[in-house]
Amino acid sequence: MVDVEKLKEIARETVSRDDVKYLIGWRQGTYGFRTAPHFVGTPEEADNLIFSPLCSHNLATYLTLVEKLPVPRGQDPDSRKVALLVKGCDSRAVVQQLIEQGIGRDSVFVIGCPCRGVVDLKKVEAKFPGMREKVSATWGNGTIIFNLPNGNVEVPRQEVLAGKCLTCRYPNPLLSDLNFGEEVAVWGSDDYADVKNLEAGSPQERWSFWEEKFASCMRCYSCRNVCPMCYCEDCVLDRLNPQWVMRSVNTAENTAFHLARAFHLAGRCIECGECERVCPVDIPIMKLNRKLSKEVREKYAFEPGLDPESKPLQASYRPDDKEDFIL
Amino acid sequence: MDIKKVRNEKFADFLAILGEQKLYAPQKVGESLRFAHVTDSSKVELAMANTTVPPKSIFFPQTETLYRYEMGNTEIQPPAVGEVGIVLGVRPCDARAQVIVDNLFSWDVDDPYYKERRDKATVVGLACNKPCVNCFCLSLGGDPASTEGMDLLMTELDDAYLLQPLTEKGEKLCQAAAAVAEPATAEDLAAAEGLHGQAREMITRKIETGGIPENLPALWENALWQETAASCLGCGICTYLCPTCHCFDIQDEVEGLEGRRCRMWDSCMFKEYTLHASGHNPRPTRRERTRNRINHKYSYFVDKFNVIACVGCGRCINHCPVNIDILEILAQVKEAL
Repeated sequence: MVDVEKLKEIARETVSRDDVKYLIGWRQGTYGFRTAPHFVGTPEEADNLIFSPLCSHNLATYLTLVEKLPVPRGQDPDSRKVALLVKGCDSRAVVQQLIEQGIGRDSVFVIGCPCRGVVDLKKVEAKFPGMREKVSATWGNGTIIFNLPNGNVEVPRQEVLAGKCLTCRYPNPLLSDLNFGEEVAVWGSDDYADVKNLEAGSPQERWSFWEEKFASCMRCYSCRNVCPMCYCEDCVLDRLNPQWVMRSVNTAENTAFHLARAFHLAGRCIECGECERVCPVDIPIMKLNRKLSKEVREKYAFEPGLDPESKPLQASYRPDDKEDFIL
Repeated sequence: MDIKKVRNEKFADFLAILGEQKLYAPQKVGESLRFAHVTDSSKVELAMANTTVPPKSIFFPQTETLYRYEMGNTEIQPPAVGEVGIVLGVRPCDARAQVIVDNLFSWDVDDPYYKERRDKATVVGLACNKPCVNCFCLSLGGDPASTEGMDLLMTELDDAYLLQPLTEKGEKLCQAAAAVAEPATAEDLAAAEGLHGQAREMITRKIETGGIPENLPALWENALWQETAASCLGCGICTYLCPTCHCFDIQDEVEGLEGRRCRMWDSCMFKEYTLHASGHNPRPTRRERTRNRINHKYSYFVDKFNVIACVGCGRCINHCPVNIDILEILAQVKEAL
């Protein structure tokens, strides 16, 4: 059982610390199964915190999404920490940001929340359509229990968990300053079956699969913006001069966008699946990311976001690298 | 104008008749539902609640070439707008939204591209029998069976689609479909009335908009903008999927000695929106951008055109990845007034 009162207690203590600016966690959303990021600035605001299988957002993205405004003359910049609730996958984003020096270790206070998997909202909303009332959920024994208005419904977790959670190998946070809840046993293993499936097709089949998906992209950039690893201040996609990717929305430019995004994440994507979750037109973006993850694992035996003391893939050199791809 | 109906078993024939003109209707494109040119009428999907992308994309395409040019030739070449025949299955909120957007594209000059498409199109609406959880059209002067902006309203009955022509264009379409249609009976009309009434009952989300347009600018420095913007990702979902959002950018795309001047959707939630050449941006953070989105819809547009630029379709609520809910923002606004 998740002791949410304990979580609120931890949050109250954390935001009362002199060296903490605010805490970011989750709260119940405005309708149905939705939840929302919750910024806790005062101990009272901790009352709305939740932690449940509905808490899909990877909040690590807010560490780099925060806008740095010019500090008024005569004032010191606010150097207090941001406290952050992280699930296993979310913690890998923080680790990778640390590895890349995107954030400093003393800028963040990490509260680790071992996680038994979060739901895929699309699966849940298809199962319980038209839910207007606010619904909460808890983890059961191999199940997710939804507290619907007319009683609890228990659903086998395979039916509603996000795909990334079904193969999750890192349910426990890999980095934390404080832990909330019991460590959970690892259940998943990942043989990249989805990627292999796609790889088995001919180049024509693969292209026709992606062509249709890319053509449907509207370039709202929600996949980029939600990504905790997409934090360049000056993104190549926003550049106007030179304009590497045209603003025109068509298959060619959309393809350029998706490939640029995927390649910039090679060896960096921690597979939290947020890009795919937020896509309003349901492009299977994680299939691209995972193709590159698979390559990186096979070619370099490397996985990002595991050890804050390690080096980024592109910045590491090993004399025993196989080099069999160099002609 | 006579109200007719097309029985379900004849609906495919009805679609075939509509397909004699260039027909747009909701279809699955990739993995999502949107309006697209119908080449195979079996792919038309009218049963779903509403499309992810609103039909504004037909009249105001996401990317459109205004004209082409080439080196050594002083003539510019505007492309032909092309045929737009029938837009089928437009929900009442979206049909109304297009009427609101018409204001903008015919304000100082008539935008020739937009106007030509609007003039050519016959809008065949579809009443909402099952509104979505986040529909709030009733609060904005809409209705699940509103006819504003339509040439013809369809209502899905148990065994037929009711066709209610509203304009000359709609009447013409009804006549063209005479072979597959039959006169509607009094029972059909009563059934449609009943469905429309039920749909109204199903809309539970609401906002009282009175007082918002005139008082919104007074909340310029209110903390609510910062609180809302804190979780905002700054993506384009809420604006791109909005049937009334109409901001665009104009850019030149040049390849070699040829180029084209394009108009493309822009979003006030983007970092480079209103970014000046000097590097200054009057809306430097998501706080100002969020404030702009709400103020534009609920205040500036009202000042200029006397109508709120929101129809309560609920798309921005349905699709926001972080559950930013315009009704929650407006409730906070009301509280602060």
